Amino acid sequence: MKSELDEASGQHTTGHEWDGVKELNTPVPLAFRVSLWLTIAVAVIMWVLYPSWPGVADYLKGTAGYSSRDRVAEAVADRQALRLQQMPEFAALDIYDLAEDPTLEARYAPAISVLYRDNCAACHGRDLKGQTNFPNLTDDHWLWSGDPGEIEYTLQVGINHTSDDTRWAQMPAFGDGMLETEDLLSVVEYVLQISGSEHDAARASVGADVFENNCVGCHNDGGIGGYENGAPSLVDDAWIYGGSRSTLRETLQYGRAGVMPGWQGRLTDEEIKKLALYVLWAGQDGPN
Amino acid sequence: MSTPHQKLERNGMGFALMILFVASLGGLFEIAPLFTIENTVEEVEGMRPYTPLEVAGRDIYVREGCYACHSQMIRTLRSDVDRYGHYSLAAESMYDHPHQWGSKRTGPDLARVGGKYSDTWHVAHLQNPRDFVEGSVMPGYSFLSETPLNTHPLEGSLIALRRVGVPYTDAQIDTAMVDALRQADPFANYEGDLQDSYGPNVQVRDFDGQPDRVTEMDALVAYLQMLGTLVDFDSFDAEANNR
Repeated sequence: MKSELDEASGQHTTGHEWDGVKELNTPVPLAFRVSLWLTIAVAVIMWVLYPSWPGVADYLKGTAGYSSRDRVAEAVADRQALRLQQMPEFAALDIYDLAEDPTLEARYAPAISVLYRDNCAACHGRDLKGQTNFPNLTDDHWLWSGDPGEIEYTLQVGINHTSDDTRWAQMPAFGDGMLETEDLLSVVEYVLQISGSEHDAARASVGADVFENNCVGCHNDGGIGGYENGAPSLVDDAWIYGGSRSTLRETLQYGRAGVMPGWQGRLTDEEIKKLALYVLWAGQDGPN
Repeated sequence: MSTPHQKLERNGMGFALMILFVASLGGLFEIAPLFTIENTVEEVEGMRPYTPLEVAGRDIYVREGCYACHSQMIRTLRSDVDRYGHYSLAAESMYDHPHQWGSKRTGPDLARVGGKYSDTWHVAHLQNPRDFVEGSVMPGYSFLSETPLNTHPLEGSLIALRRVGVPYTDAQIDTAMVDALRQADPFANYEGDLQDSYGPNVQVRDFDGQPDRVTEMDALVAYLQMLGTLVDFDSFDAEANNR
């Protein structure tokens, strides 16, 4: 049981012997040992500087005063300040003044498109053209008017959303005992007529009276729509849910209450202004 | 010539004690922080146990493996906070057993997805994700709209959750099945009862666009629309809850 010098390797053996087999006791290379002790030293320094050991009622907070939550709050504030610096108009001006500046679109639309894609494109599409159930933003057909302030307000509070001050717009389910089936079908023909589609003229004239008695409160005389109720115009060829006979019947039968989320709280005031303007530009640039 | 290590190696009892000591360190580091959990979980307003319908939706979320592609953890990084909102709090996972933090984002983080999209969008997107997100690799889950929600396991689920610390009351457990059905039925006239029982931030409506039935889609969308909406950040004291 004695350590021996192994001549072939120049190292000592462990001193153990198993049926004539001996084991070398080569030490770990110096660099490994040094780095092991170094990492331990670094760990001790980190314990001192940063939050580390839990105590009974608290934890060791460290002398560097580091907090990841403080750090991220600073980083977010810094970035917001930088954005304001890069796009100062959005903090300084209100939405009406912003809408009147024709130079903004060329300068800022590419930057705002990122914000749009991250928050709005899921429903309204990357091209802003919307899809079934989600309105097209590139035409000039508006539900709550194309007034910049109204667009901004819709973005803030949403439509039929969970916030207390949300816009409220509901197409009632007229099939739920409010209209006889015959009347309901006549209204469908009338709406087809005023929107310029193929229709049954006799039924449409009956439908006109039913419309007069039930629908003008929101959709206005002749179905031109009403901004104060968020009721869409029925005389154009733009549809949210579809303008076919069967879809119109479904809409009248079961009603509609589309939801637009409110973004107050999720986005900053400046971001909401940016998006309102972006939507406004799309409506101005698109086909009327 | 013998080193301290060699001496220790030859002392059976001493070596066993050293092994025990070193091995116990691992356990200590995992267990000791649990004794100070009150320091970790922030005091917040609005956090509440999940309603039975939300629990059912959460079970579907776990069953379908949503956590494999979606995280529910907004980290304290600017890029995360910029995109997803306020960083996640420990308090927001305190009724999660197990938590759904996840470890990988093939899809976006969902910790604050509640209220970001409409129910209609969630249903249509779950049915066919590529209708809405070009190039999405998310599978379609249209069968959820066809599958009636099985409410039978809910009472047992709530009992199990209570056993691991979620403060469900006896009354909540007794009415779990009916609570789940009525949260998805705006005409049941039950919103007040549910809000009395769970809290004012319970959302009651038909989530899946099929007013006459309660499906797994109702449960999943109810769960998604709740995510990240419970804590009242207006009353959250960031200073006092610094970590």
